[in-house]
Amino acid sequence: MANTNSNSEAKVDTELSYGQVTSDVLAPLFTMGKPYMAGMGLVLLGLAYGGWCIIQQLVWGLGVAGYSQPDFWGLYITTFVFWVGIGHAGTLISAVLFLFRSKWRTGVYRAAEAMTIFAVMTAALFPALHVGRMWNAYWLFPYPNQRQLWQNFKSPLMWDVFAVSTYFTVSTIFFYIGLIPDFAAMRDRTRGVISKMYGSLAIGWRGTDRQWRHYMAAYGFFAAFATPLVLSVHSIVSWDFAMAQTAGWHSTLFPPYFVAGAIFSGCAMVITLMVPLSAIFKWEKYINVWHFEHLAKMCLLTGGILTYAYLMEYFIAWYSDNPYEWGIFAFRVVGDYWWVFWIMVVCNCIVPLIWWFKKARTNLWCLFIVSIVINIGMWFERFNIIASSLAHQFDPAAWTYYLPNYIEIGVLIFSFSWFFLWFLLFVKVMPSVAIAEVKELLPPPLKQKGVAAK
Amino acid sequence: MADMNRRDFLKVLGISGTASACTIDPVTPIEKVLPYVVTPDQIIPGVATWFATQCTACPVGCGVVAKNREGRIIMLEGNREHPTNNGSLCAKGITDLQATYSPDRFTGPMVAGQDSTWDDAFGKVVSAVKAAQSSGKKIAWLGRERTGATAAITDQVIGALGGSVTRWEPLGKEALRKATKAVFGIDGVPSYALSQAETIISFGADFLSTWGGPDHHHGYGQSRDPDHCGFVSQFWVVEPRLSNTSVNADIHLSAAPGTEAGVALALAKLVADERKYSGPASSLLTDIDVDGLIAAAGVSKDRMIELAGRMAANMSIAMPGGTATVNEEAVAVATLILNEVAGNIGETVTFGQDANLAGVSYYADVEAVLADAANIGVLFLDELDIVYTTPGSTAKDALALVAQIVAFQNEPSESLTESSIVLPTGTTLENWGDNESIMGRHTLQQPAMKGLKNTRGSGDIMLALAKSLGLGAGDDDEEATPLPDTFQAFLMDWWKSNVFAKSDATDWDVFWRSAVQTGGHFFSRDVHSATFQLASLPEVGGTTDGVTLGLFPHHITYDGRHANRPWAHEMPEPVTGFVWGTWAEISLATAEKLGLEEDDKVTLTTAAGSIDVGFFPSPGIRDDMVAVVMGNGHEGAGRYADLTGANPVRLLTSMSYAGDKVTVTKAGKTTHISTQLGNIDQDNRPINYIVKAKDIGTGKGPGGLVHLHHPPIDERLIENNLLDMYPEPEHPTYRFAMAIDLNKCTGCAACQVACYAENNIGVVGPEQNRRGRHMGWMRLSRYWEGSGEEPDVRWQPTMCQQCSHAPCEGVCPVLATYHNLDGLNAMIYNRCVGTRYCANNCPYSARRFNYHTYDWPEAFHMMLNPDVMTRTMGVMEKCTFCVQRIREAKSDYRDHGQVVPDAALTKLLPCASACGSDCITFGNLKDPESEVSKKFENERAYPMLAELNTKPGVRYLARISHSEAETGHGGGH
Repeated sequence: MANTNSNSEAKVDTELSYGQVTSDVLAPLFTMGKPYMAGMGLVLLGLAYGGWCIIQQLVWGLGVAGYSQPDFWGLYITTFVFWVGIGHAGTLISAVLFLFRSKWRTGVYRAAEAMTIFAVMTAALFPALHVGRMWNAYWLFPYPNQRQLWQNFKSPLMWDVFAVSTYFTVSTIFFYIGLIPDFAAMRDRTRGVISKMYGSLAIGWRGTDRQWRHYMAAYGFFAAFATPLVLSVHSIVSWDFAMAQTAGWHSTLFPPYFVAGAIFSGCAMVITLMVPLSAIFKWEKYINVWHFEHLAKMCLLTGGILTYAYLMEYFIAWYSDNPYEWGIFAFRVVGDYWWVFWIMVVCNCIVPLIWWFKKARTNLWCLFIVSIVINIGMWFERFNIIASSLAHQFDPAAWTYYLPNYIEIGVLIFSFSWFFLWFLLFVKVMPSVAIAEVKELLPPPLKQKGVAAK
Repeated sequence: MADMNRRDFLKVLGISGTASACTIDPVTPIEKVLPYVVTPDQIIPGVATWFATQCTACPVGCGVVAKNREGRIIMLEGNREHPTNNGSLCAKGITDLQATYSPDRFTGPMVAGQDSTWDDAFGKVVSAVKAAQSSGKKIAWLGRERTGATAAITDQVIGALGGSVTRWEPLGKEALRKATKAVFGIDGVPSYALSQAETIISFGADFLSTWGGPDHHHGYGQSRDPDHCGFVSQFWVVEPRLSNTSVNADIHLSAAPGTEAGVALALAKLVADERKYSGPASSLLTDIDVDGLIAAAGVSKDRMIELAGRMAANMSIAMPGGTATVNEEAVAVATLILNEVAGNIGETVTFGQDANLAGVSYYADVEAVLADAANIGVLFLDELDIVYTTPGSTAKDALALVAQIVAFQNEPSESLTESSIVLPTGTTLENWGDNESIMGRHTLQQPAMKGLKNTRGSGDIMLALAKSLGLGAGDDDEEATPLPDTFQAFLMDWWKSNVFAKSDATDWDVFWRSAVQTGGHFFSRDVHSATFQLASLPEVGGTTDGVTLGLFPHHITYDGRHANRPWAHEMPEPVTGFVWGTWAEISLATAEKLGLEEDDKVTLTTAAGSIDVGFFPSPGIRDDMVAVVMGNGHEGAGRYADLTGANPVRLLTSMSYAGDKVTVTKAGKTTHISTQLGNIDQDNRPINYIVKAKDIGTGKGPGGLVHLHHPPIDERLIENNLLDMYPEPEHPTYRFAMAIDLNKCTGCAACQVACYAENNIGVVGPEQNRRGRHMGWMRLSRYWEGSGEEPDVRWQPTMCQQCSHAPCEGVCPVLATYHNLDGLNAMIYNRCVGTRYCANNCPYSARRFNYHTYDWPEAFHMMLNPDVMTRTMGVMEKCTFCVQRIREAKSDYRDHGQVVPDAALTKLLPCASACGSDCITFGNLKDPESEVSKKFENERAYPMLAELNTKPGVRYLARISHSEAETGHGGGH
């Protein structure tokens, strides 16, 4: 294995030709394998069950879910924050690492960006699904109306609406810009109507120098534009909690802590998605241990920050001498939700430590399993924050215990199915590896072999 | 249309289909507003008419005012002119509103389970009476306590038929009545003037809940108020458990079941020695073995000496035992001796114009009627569920032997047999009637609304019966007066000769009008002396073996008569927080020994039978005692009565609510019962404070509060005026606010029911309650801070605090909740999307969310307050300080260019109005002279969770503790 700290030593087979790359990457678009059909079948089943749960909730009210007063938020907001967090890694990998000129991003960034967009689309379901009157959820948007009603811009939920929609818009544009050269490749490899469709998406891309120069400027601009959003969106999501005065939420630590957690879970999710993707589509040449190891290192960094944040929360709670603050933090460890807390600690702080061993972080199975463990841990982290704080609010006479029921689990399944539906569609209509960027890592094709200009 | 091709057709279909789909709103119900075709006289739409009438929920006989809106009574409140309840109304009384609108009410008379007509049913009654007379069988009447003209008509007609009238109350004070007879030779019960007692000792009477009436709350509240009488009463209880009343106690002496009488006698001896008592009871006291009795009870002798010292030094009062007291009569005798020795008779315990018990029978009389059932031709059952309320199957078997049962009943009951003739008599709100539950207090009942069903009052039925049997007019009785045609006329005649004649009034018409307007006529009370004449001490029992069972009445369903009222079950029982079901109070040790978890149920087994109930692990009950709540678990008494619970009367071997031996075993999981209270105590958080009695008036500490521990606030923020980011909201004329005196609060839950009635709060039922969807806007928090001899149970009615800096307002994305110019947190239900962020951010957990649309079954919807919109699923709701009442008051006074005066505000809110101990005061803070402004400045006043800087519009006046101990949960850590 090459020295992975150096970006210059890209772990891509330099024997590949440009044509070969295009063929390899586009191959899955023209075939339909059994794993794909099975995956799609599962997704549709999940959507059907989850859809049935959502319809019940729509007809009978939120009461069909497991909520218990004053635990007014539960699995839905947990899952919302979880998906927003997942949606972090894509833009981070594509934009931030682009600006830092990290070569290892090329193999994974396209799928990671797609993941981001689909994760945000999934997250966006939840604010609507969780409100009491979802048919009125559009009232959250400021639009001119004859009742002259306006929104409350003091509310962090309003900020959320803007943060998430901005992030979604910018991510989508950035994703599309990255795709333009690849759409052109698709146009050239297809025929008839499909070719015309890709052609229109490629907006006349011919790969001229002039186009490349403009393209790279635009790409750099959008990368710079998207980078602060990576930090802002999850900071704002964390303000949903930090701005409330509920004990266990009301903390200035939340924005960095949430951003670190989001990158942690996002990178883990990229590993979870890419390991099977690479194996199924035989893309080991383009996405391999070299990439995964970098992602694992990102996880180690952010996981470390997260563990520090967990410890610091306890320090602050103790140091504050605030009985409510300390009460909730003690409750999380030993109270009704002790199991949630310990799942979180084991999955997020302890299990990923195995990646400190090079053997572990270069083993595909280990990468895959630990990445799933991390995401389980990150889901429970949000559940831990939301459910326990609300179950033990200020007044002990109102304490309760909340557990999600089958309806909420159904909606959780729906969210995963929804996400994977888009992801599965994506791998069949768009190149999941950035063809143009992979080619950048290859020696330029020359008539005479071995005379590559350095 | 011939030109339309397939494409156009699809276009039109698409557009019109989409357009119509967009306009279909499946959620918002369509309602129609229709004007009156012919406007009725006296009704101004939107303006309520209040009728003074009586409450018949229990035998206390309070006066109520019924709020009539567009022909329907929508609210009951206490009659402020009435001397018994002084304007307050208890939880039972307000719940009784649901009797009129019950979905299970009979629509008309029924014969043998079939709908019938009045002519047919009444004809059958007449022929049954004739048949009984001809066959020599008896006519008997068995019913609830009735007094006044309502009783007189029955007595007169049944008497003329040669029948017997037996009126019985399952929770009548039979033991005390017998004791009073034995001790003072008076057939009656004394009045207890709690307001003058510096020491209150209760031996088990649930006198702040189901034992007695609102006068006890009133007196207790006054005795706890340092501003009222210059002292704060100390409340001692001698009881094997802690009831809804005795959790308020300062000191709890946990006597073994059955030894309370012994404790009272020992105490009497100690007090006599202290006071050098030489009165008529002194000869009885010589033989009392103080140490032996104290040892048998297992109470602390030091405490007994302390208590005796207090009783000797100041005015005191000893309350008798309650239903859960073993050997209740001996306890009652012993407490009367104690009161005599302590010099309370004639001072705090008085006789004269007390409960009117002349027409009330003992249970022995009921047994005699039942034993003779085979000889009864016609048995009139007057709203008494004799089968449910008596142990064993005696009553059921007896009723089967009666030739014909005629039941005066509006709703199903266990006591109806297959062949019963059911005559629905209408409810209190629909008929004329009266009571004289307390001698000299004549309360009048007038029809406050038109009857909802095809009913006839029992008085009218009696008159009709007399007429068809040829009784009354023209009879050759010596004092025969012609019977009038209607009960109303009879009532007026009776009042003319029995009330008007005794009064100072001269003009009958004026007198009658004023009686109808004020709700009755109340003679002033004259106290007469009582002579101690007891010859020998009562037997003091007390067994040490086994676990003793004691039953206590539910705070609303009472003896079970209100069990078909959903509010009765939906209101959390104050001590346990339980809704919907029957539970047993067991000790913490017993619960641990049985390995019980929160949602387990237990099986209780006695010699008479066994039932499965939920359980409450009470820190206040002894290991050798189990207490079970009565009043739930009916079989065939209506949809709500039958829904949950079990009838613990089935555990009794005789008509004595305490004394049976019981075994407790673990049994599966409960499906219904659930508590609406979270933690047992306040977990060392500064929520509910106490003030030491000795610190009152010293202004010690911040606001005189001791144990005040707030989380630290950086002083520099205060110095530099940086504590608030936003300016104080503007309140030009009003800043509505509320002060709640926790020292007076008895945890009776009347405020909660009043809130439900006023604000159309949804009843969610047992299943939703189990899932934590209780909708009550007012939580009666109970913090059990102490243990052992000093239980230190603190109440805190918690509702929306109407904060000036409300955490809920800032976070609502659609501005569905905002601060208005009156200082209220207004809530726009229509605008609410249901993000529930406001509720998460409310530190008081005061907001409630409609997880479903909770409907009111037919007839209950007529009871809804038209001034308050009903909420549907997905909407947040909360206490609004009854903004509808505030608006009404404001606009009334604005018409005259005035600001609402304080007098019109203090009791404006239903919760404040219902409160028996007068602990809730409402008013305008902008008026510095208002009562609430003064209370805000009280040394005991504190805002809940002040450190959050929410600036609430509610302040609590801390409970006063007599405890000397500096430790314990003062409210900090």
